[in-house]
Amino acid sequence: MGSKTWADLAREMKMFLWNPEERTCLGRTAKSWGLIFLFYFIFYTCLAGMFAFCLYVMLLTLSPYTPRYRDRVSPPGVMIRPYLNGFTIAFNVSQPGTWQPYVDSMHHFLAAYDDKVQEEKNIECISGRYFIQGGNESEEKKACQFKRSLLQNCSGIEDPTFGYSKGQPCILLKMNRIIGYRPGAGVPVSVDCKVQKGNESNLRSVDFYPGNGTFDLMYYPYYGKLTHVNYTSPLVAMHFTDVKKNYMVPIQCSLNGKGF
Amino acid sequence: LLQKKSDVYSVEDLWDKRSRKTDIGDEEEKYKDLKGNKKKRRQKTLRKKWRTFYSLSFSLSFGIQDDHKLSASELEEKYGTSVNKGLSSARAAEILARDGPNSLTPPKATPEIVKFLKQMVGGFSILLWIGAVFSWISFGIQLAQGAESPFDNLYLGVVLALVVILTGIFAYYQEAKSTNIMASFSKMIPQQALVIRDAEKKELPADQLVVGDIVEIKGGDRIPADIRLIFTQGCKVDNSSLTGESEPQSRSCDFTHENPLETRNIAFYSTTCVEGTATGIVINTGDRTVIGRIASLTSGVGNEKTPIAIEIEHFVYLVAGVAISIGVLFFIISVSMRYKILDSIIFLIGIIVANVPEGLLATVTVSLSLTAKRMAKKNCLVKNLEAVETLGSTSIICSDKTGTLTQNRMTVAHLWFDNQIYSADTSEDQTTQPFDQSSPSWTALSKIVTLCNRAEFRPGQENLPIMKRVVVGDASETALLKFAEVILGDVMSIRARNRKVAEIPFNSTNKFQLSIHETDDPNDKRFLLVMKGAPERILERCSTIMINGKEEPLDSEKAEAFQTAYMELGGLGERVLGFCHLYLPEDEFPDTYPFDTDSMNFPTSNLCFVGLLSMIDPPRSTVPDAVSKCRSAGIKVIMVTGDHPITAKAIAKSVGIISATSETVEDIAKRLNIPVEQVNRREATAAVVNGMELKDMSLQQLDEILCNHSEIVFARTSPQQKLIIVEGCQRQGAVVAVTGDGVNDSPALKKADIGIAMGIAGSDAAKNAADMVLLDDNFASIVTGVEEGRLIFDNLKKTIAYTLTKNIAELCPFLIYIIASIPMPIGTITILFIDLGTDIIPSVALAYEKAESDIMNRRPRNKRKDRLVNEQLAVYSYLQIGIMQSVGAFITYFTVYAEQGFLPSTLLGVRVDWENNAINDFEDSYGQQWTKYQRMYLQWTGYTAFFVSITIQQVADLIIRKTRRNSIFQQGLFRNKVIWVGIFSQIGIALILTYGLGHVTALNFTPLRFQYWFVAVPFAILIWVYDEVRKLFIRRYPGSWWDKNMYY
Repeated sequence: MGSKTWADLAREMKMFLWNPEERTCLGRTAKSWGLIFLFYFIFYTCLAGMFAFCLYVMLLTLSPYTPRYRDRVSPPGVMIRPYLNGFTIAFNVSQPGTWQPYVDSMHHFLAAYDDKVQEEKNIECISGRYFIQGGNESEEKKACQFKRSLLQNCSGIEDPTFGYSKGQPCILLKMNRIIGYRPGAGVPVSVDCKVQKGNESNLRSVDFYPGNGTFDLMYYPYYGKLTHVNYTSPLVAMHFTDVKKNYMVPIQCSLNGKGF
Repeated sequence: LLQKKSDVYSVEDLWDKRSRKTDIGDEEEKYKDLKGNKKKRRQKTLRKKWRTFYSLSFSLSFGIQDDHKLSASELEEKYGTSVNKGLSSARAAEILARDGPNSLTPPKATPEIVKFLKQMVGGFSILLWIGAVFSWISFGIQLAQGAESPFDNLYLGVVLALVVILTGIFAYYQEAKSTNIMASFSKMIPQQALVIRDAEKKELPADQLVVGDIVEIKGGDRIPADIRLIFTQGCKVDNSSLTGESEPQSRSCDFTHENPLETRNIAFYSTTCVEGTATGIVINTGDRTVIGRIASLTSGVGNEKTPIAIEIEHFVYLVAGVAISIGVLFFIISVSMRYKILDSIIFLIGIIVANVPEGLLATVTVSLSLTAKRMAKKNCLVKNLEAVETLGSTSIICSDKTGTLTQNRMTVAHLWFDNQIYSADTSEDQTTQPFDQSSPSWTALSKIVTLCNRAEFRPGQENLPIMKRVVVGDASETALLKFAEVILGDVMSIRARNRKVAEIPFNSTNKFQLSIHETDDPNDKRFLLVMKGAPERILERCSTIMINGKEEPLDSEKAEAFQTAYMELGGLGERVLGFCHLYLPEDEFPDTYPFDTDSMNFPTSNLCFVGLLSMIDPPRSTVPDAVSKCRSAGIKVIMVTGDHPITAKAIAKSVGIISATSETVEDIAKRLNIPVEQVNRREATAAVVNGMELKDMSLQQLDEILCNHSEIVFARTSPQQKLIIVEGCQRQGAVVAVTGDGVNDSPALKKADIGIAMGIAGSDAAKNAADMVLLDDNFASIVTGVEEGRLIFDNLKKTIAYTLTKNIAELCPFLIYIIASIPMPIGTITILFIDLGTDIIPSVALAYEKAESDIMNRRPRNKRKDRLVNEQLAVYSYLQIGIMQSVGAFITYFTVYAEQGFLPSTLLGVRVDWENNAINDFEDSYGQQWTKYQRMYLQWTGYTAFFVSITIQQVADLIIRKTRRNSIFQQGLFRNKVIWVGIFSQIGIALILTYGLGHVTALNFTPLRFQYWFVAVPFAILIWVYDEVRKLFIRRYPGSWWDKNMYY
């Protein structure tokens, strides 16, 4: 093998690419290539058909309203707003440019919670118990109102900067939606925040809205986006009124309730 | 220049005594002729090889000092020894310390660490190392950037490195194990030598001998060192292992030749003393002996790469090529799709890992060593694992005659008495002789055979079969003794009853042997004179001939009949002996008559001729069958022997190397009664080439002979010429197997694609140079080796096809992940679990698959065309079955995601958000929200589902790979039990990984819902059905487009 020179190799390669004598390209004639392509066209078409058919049959077995399994998604996770790119919130009170993106994010998120929007789309529910809607699975479900004003100081109505301009930022907490999930087994889930690591005195006081920072039972269960179109996730606002400044304070907020 | 020339002569002398006329100029001339040839390069290397051979031979002849020219007293002075007293023990110890022990240094083995490192970088290891290094680099970058989970890449790198190291250790261990079998060979029973030291005779281990020692040797001993003889008595040595001369050479104390290799007063290390006794001074020990020099010379002949090594290399290049090109292609695609460079590198690692069948090379090693074990059971011991397959691709076998094709013992084959030829049984385990024994002539003949014979059985062997007993005596006498013992029973007591009163042993001048006996008939007081010898000499001494027990005058008609019989038996290549007797008249030779063998005071003429016996070293009974098997397997068997052409041809005919109907040029000339020159050479299928003719042949002439004749016998060849013959065969593009036993065969053994040494008769040097050792020296064992070799080639094809298939199912997820940005369907670690976990045992199991058809009925594979991994195999595995597997696995993947809430449409393009650590409310198709960890867990469930689907489909893949052409139902689904072990192990390992280790986060497995195991089953069935259809079309339409493109 080693005895071949580069020129030989190049010639062989050229011959392989196009052999003018036998009229072959890459070792096959046009007819041979045609047959191969035809074969693979049919072969892959059949396979694609089979793939599509299997997928179709599989999808037919699924309900459009409820996924078959919900074991991987529960217990529900939580998420905060404002959300820019991560879970670190840092700003300089004297420089509005540093906190304005947070405020914009809050406003953007809370737009769907405007009292007017909520009154228009959703109904008022009875607080303190699950809002269970029977009937056919495919029937449209009603959603309970969660008005922005419930968030009081963190509603952005009185203070459109959500306290950021005063160095007392509001952070919204929402629980992930899970179809049919009834959190707390009858007792509303409450939120509780503490310093994750380090000096506990760094976080001196947190205000929770609405109420004492609970997710009311009437917002559950969730019936899925197809029938529960106007569902708005309940929120808990945490108003960090006295946090140590110029210092990184890791805060862990947890949901307390049965069944987690 | 003059000096140099004479050296060349001495070399010629060493290798072929019969060709002194050859001048070095002739050799040069030959090469000049060849220069015009197209294959210039090849010739050049050939020439170079010859040069090295010659130059090594020069040093050989220089190696021996002038000791053969010196007188005994000069030698005593030179070595500070005394012929009578020997060396003192103290002096001997001193010399031993200086020269080292008298044993051959085993050929320099590659250091273990080098062997180990070779395993670490060979094959796919380099690719995986690259993968590991990339992982570490990206780990470093991520760490520097402060990313959150950089350790994943560190672990991946470590795992990849571990995979390389572990598979390397495994391959190393396998190789070491097979070498160990060989190592046991070198531990032979230590040889003893009888030495005079401190004026005493002592038995010493031969490796303690030093230069100057006085040693005594007797018939049957192996010469313990190079010895200058100072006293001999009828000493003959067998130099065949050194020079290939088959006749024993007589030795004396006289300086007979300038060349130390030719002179009679030197006996060489490792040759054997056949008869007589001798005393001599040790002049060279250990590696400085002539044999030691030749043994080291063998390393000068390059070792050829085995065909399977070439095939595996080809396959590694192919797969590595595919891996690198797909990797680079998708690296470019992912960069141009605006993925980060770092991510693209990680994709690249994934693609490499998915493409490389990590476990395959280890599997191949295991399969080869399994076959090696199986072959060892059938008496083929394979030294080099890769040589297992070489026998299978062998297209020419150059076989020795003596010992390999024949039984290596003289046996009586024919008798002639009463004007008639009788044939005797020559099989290995004869107990009776079937020919007609009623004639009184036979009684007389048998008496001569029994009495006129000096050979005796060694005592204490009464229980052994006659043929296996050890006899003291030369080959013909042994044959006669055994022949008589078989027919008459206890020969020794017959001899005792017929007391011997006088004897003249055989010598080369009178060419007969005579003895005079009393008869066992108490009423007959006559002495019986019996004589045997060269038939024509015996006949000269006879005046009568016995016909049916009656003495009749020997007239010209009867003499004519004798001549015809003699010619006929001689023409069979047999050694013929004549027998005659004479009852001495009682009145002239009374009881007390003093017989004197010197004055020969008794009649030695006018005797009564009784009959002829002819002997031959008969072929082994299994050989004809084996040769015909070779023939149907398309393997050309060439006999290369030092023996006489007539004998060689006779044996070749009797074993079928020359078939009954074919003729040589000489045969045709004889039949048509025309001169040899006028015969059309093309008409002759057979050829018997004499070593002398070979000497004068140019390489083209040799090529012509090798090309044009299908049945070739090389007779009277020196072992040196064997090398030329082997090279000639290799020039034809043949894969050549060579058998040999002598030291001088070792260059040819090494040059051959597979050298086969004889386990019993073979010298250590031959065994060292060989790739394989035949434990029973039997040619038939080679044929079983060929069968095993061909089977393993087929089965390796199946193993590789099986292993390559799932690589596509591992690769597709990456490609689709990059292009469609779906969540990763299968992890790199998971891939490694398939390649090195579930797939290992099944792929080894394919090595146990039985042949699909009679593999001994097809031609040897063409090493240029019939590749192990050909285009069809790769395309069928990669683009058809592999794609089917991928589709099946993707169905499972989409099912798992859909049933958890992510419909296929939602999954497209989600990669960036899906993998974002900061998004904990990722929405699915139903509006539910998922945290990162929940998504990861779902992703691992996806990995597990994908893994399980591949495993399930690999079961189908395993079943279809059992055959390449036949239906599975023809092959038998349950015939190979190991396949089922494979299937159960595969599923078992998958169960353990998913349910047993499903909670170990690092492994990325999760317990899986039971039904997901069955999602891919329809695709597994589809694979099976599709392959059955493929095979059906191949069987039904041979030669069709389908057959050409679908049969691998």
